[in-house]
Formats: sequence, structure tokens, C-alpha cells
Amino acid sequence: MIFLRRQLPLLITMVTGLLFAGQYYVPHPASEQLLTSATKWLQIIGGFALVLGVTSLFHQHAAKIRRKEAGWGYSVVLYAGLVGTIAVGLWANGKESVDGAMTTFGWVYNFMMVPLQGTMFAILAFFIASAAYRSFRARSREAAVLLIAAVIVMMGRVPLGEYLIPASGDVSSWILNVLNASVRRAILIGVSLGAVALSFKIIFGVERSYLGGGKE
Amino acid sequence: MSFAERMLKIDRRIIFLVIGFCTLLPLLYPVGLPIKISPEVKSVYDYMESLPERSVFLLSIDFDPASKPELHPQAIALLRHAFRKNLRVVAMTLWVSGTGMADQLLTQVAQEAGKENGKDYVFLGWSPGGTAVIINMGQDLYQAFPSDYGGKPTKGLPVLDGVNSLKDVSYAISLGAGNPGVEAWYVFGKDKYKFELGGGCTGVIAPGLYPLLRSGQINGLIGGLRGAAEYESLIGQKGRAVAGMDAQSATHVAIIILVAVCNIFYFSLRRQAKQQGG
Repeated sequence: MIFLRRQLPLLITMVTGLLFAGQYYVPHPASEQLLTSATKWLQIIGGFALVLGVTSLFHQHAAKIRRKEAGWGYSVVLYAGLVGTIAVGLWANGKESVDGAMTTFGWVYNFMMVPLQGTMFAILAFFIASAAYRSFRARSREAAVLLIAAVIVMMGRVPLGEYLIPASGDVSSWILNVLNASVRRAILIGVSLGAVALSFKIIFGVERSYLGGGKE
Repeated sequence: MSFAERMLKIDRRIIFLVIGFCTLLPLLYPVGLPIKISPEVKSVYDYMESLPERSVFLLSIDFDPASKPELHPQAIALLRHAFRKNLRVVAMTLWVSGTGMADQLLTQVAQEAGKENGKDYVFLGWSPGGTAVIINMGQDLYQAFPSDYGGKPTKGLPVLDGVNSLKDVSYAISLGAGNPGVEAWYVFGKDKYKFELGGGCTGVIAPGLYPLLRSGQINGLIGGLRGAAEYESLIGQKGRAVAGMDAQSATHVAIIILVAVCNIFYFSLRRQAKQQGG
């Protein structure tokens, strides 16, 4: 059983990992066909992952309601929202409108999901302003540099800022294009090298945590 | 408690009120300050302008309603430009929660431009798999999307005539609010299938995309509401983004003033503490 639970997954990972790392450099039609099939599989697996995610969500919140854990009322709301949306979605065949007429699913989407998500995002502006007032202080030299850069970029990104301080637009653009881009690139290179190293560790079976921590 | 201390511990509802007024007043009484066009937005516009008629323009609407205020105006401006240039528009989304919104906005702009579904544009909808969808489209577009959002088979649609994969796309733009978005389209799409790629994103993730812009991995970037307002100005059809710029101007300046005030009180308190200590 250890072979099925440990060695076989490691073998599959190693073979497919090496195969598809090599595939990128082989433009032969057979190699391209292999990639086409594999990505189709990935799409199908992605679909199943969605079902798995929803099922897991159902189980988690059902347990919370059954045990009457703290905040179980929110789980009831989640259940009602999820079941209700799935029901009207199936009823409307997943369409928001049919021949120009809005379906119930479309109504839920347009008049519940869109405004709710919009509101959540809009509230951020208020909290950011409040947080900036409370914590954006020049406590140290580094914090002062950050503060000045932020003020310049904020000024340079809006017409009023450019009107009040005409140079702010160009300085803001320089900060974004030179300072920001170079630092971001350094981070990206570091992260990418880390990803390559981790991929090698997974392919060669050094890193096995993705297999789970079950008993052998 | 001194005045400075009281000011530093000001009720946050007052700050909320200030921001609320700064957003609302310019929307009610717009000023219409001129908007300077940045090179990154101009690059996207210029590339769209350079495309010959009936070229294939792919717009990936990779955001959900949470990012609608910033990215919806970008999508509308780009679609208006594409339809005016008589390009063939292929729209899709990698975000399932953005499907309905993407369909509505495409239909709205297409109707406004008098374009026909299936002939001038198509909405492919959403397909599971995230970044795998991009690779699959690069291999075979009809395998990734056998039918469009309305259920019509994609094979044989006049809008997709001569299009088999991403290699046949003249220009692609991803309007992303996160992952998968612009970066995924470069890594899994442009890098392998060699089509020209532009990006659009929310203001908060724009700084993260500048390395891609500077290295030419994306040929242009429309960042946030400001980027959308610039694009609206370029196509000469001012919309919600231009209208929102006054509100954004006022809130930015309000936040800067708040931060400055908070620092003044902070330093005055620090000086007082030093004097008392000395």
C-alpha cells in the first residue's frame, strides 16, 4: 500500500514534471498534442475542484450549524445564499438573461452580488483614509522616505495634484518606472528562483508535503 | 489631554465623513480638470490604432464586480475603441464571478456600436482551469471553448474566421484585478504563443506590473481609474472614469492633508515630550 500512497505519486510527479519541463522546448506536433491533452485534463480537473470546494464548504458549515458554534447564524446565511443561488442558477440554466429578459439568477447577480461586492470594495477607501491618519507617521528616516514617496505618487496620479504641483506627475512616473520597477523586478527574480528550486525539490521527491501527512 | 493628543485620537467617523464629502461633492459639482496622458496608456491606444480593420482583438475581462468602478470604464473605453476601429472582438473571462458582468458590458457596447454577435464579436464566457485555459487556448481555441456563452458552437462563427489559437490573435488585453490576470496572460500566453499583449488593472496592483511594462513583456498599461480616464480622453468619449477623476482628486488631496495634519500633531507631541523630559 505504501507503493500506491507514496512511491506511485512521487513517480507520477517526477515523470510528468520532467516531461512537461522538457515539452516547453520541443515544438514537435506530438509534443504540442501532449500539451493540448494535458491542459484539457487540467480544465476538467479544475471543474471537479470547484465541486470539491463547494462540497467541502457545505460540510464545514453544516458542522458549525449542528454544533451551534460561535457565529453559526452566519453559516445559515451562507447556506441560504449558496443553496438559493445554485437553485436559481440551475433553473435559469446559468444565464443572467434570456432574450433580453432578466432571469432570477440575473436578478441575484445584478441586485445582490454586484452591489454587495462593490460596497465591500468601496468601504476600503474610508478605512484606508482612517488608517493613514492614524499610522502614516514619520517615526523614522525610512518611514519619512516612504511617506514622501507616497505623497508624491498620490499627488501625481490625480489631475488636481498635477494642477497644484505640476512636477508631481513626472516625479511620480519616475518613482513608479525606475525605483518601483527595479525593486519589484529584484523581488520577482528572487521569487522565481525560489519557485524553480521548489519545483526541482518536488520533481525529485525531496519536498513531499503536498502528499499530505497521513500514516504510512 | 492636550489638543494635539485629542486630534490624534479623533473619532474615525469624522474622517469617514470628510472622505464621504470629498467623494460626493465633486460628483455633484464636477470641475473637469485636464487629464495628462501617460506614455503607458498612450502605447495601448497607439497599438489599437495601428491594427488593420477586422484584426482579432482579445479582451480578457479578469475581474469581478468588486473592481467594477475601476475596470468597467477601462473595458467600455477599450471596446468602444475596438468597435470604432472595426476590429473583431473576442471577449472572455478567467474569473467566474465576473461572467455576467462581462456579458452585459460587451452586449451594451456592441449594441451601442451596432455590432452583430457572432459576426463582429463573441463572448466566450468562462471555463474552469484558471491559467490552464490560457495554455489550452494557445493550443486550440475550440477545445478550450467549444461553444460561446450563449451556447452556440464557436467553430464556424464568422468572427473567429481564421482563428485557431492565440497565435492568430493580433492584440490581447487582460483587464485584471488579481490572479489570474495580466501576469498570467504573459507567463502562460504571450511568452509561448507570441502575440502582442497589453494590460489594464486596478490602481492598487499597477505598481506590481511596471517590471513587465519596462521590459516590454506588456506593451502598455492602463492603471486604475486614472488610466481609464486617460483612455476615455484619448478616444474622445468621456465617461464614468473622467467623471470620477474629480472625486479621486479630492479624496487623494484630503488624505494627504489628513496625513500632514496627523504628522504635525505627532511632532508637536514628540517635542513636548522631549521638553518635559529635558
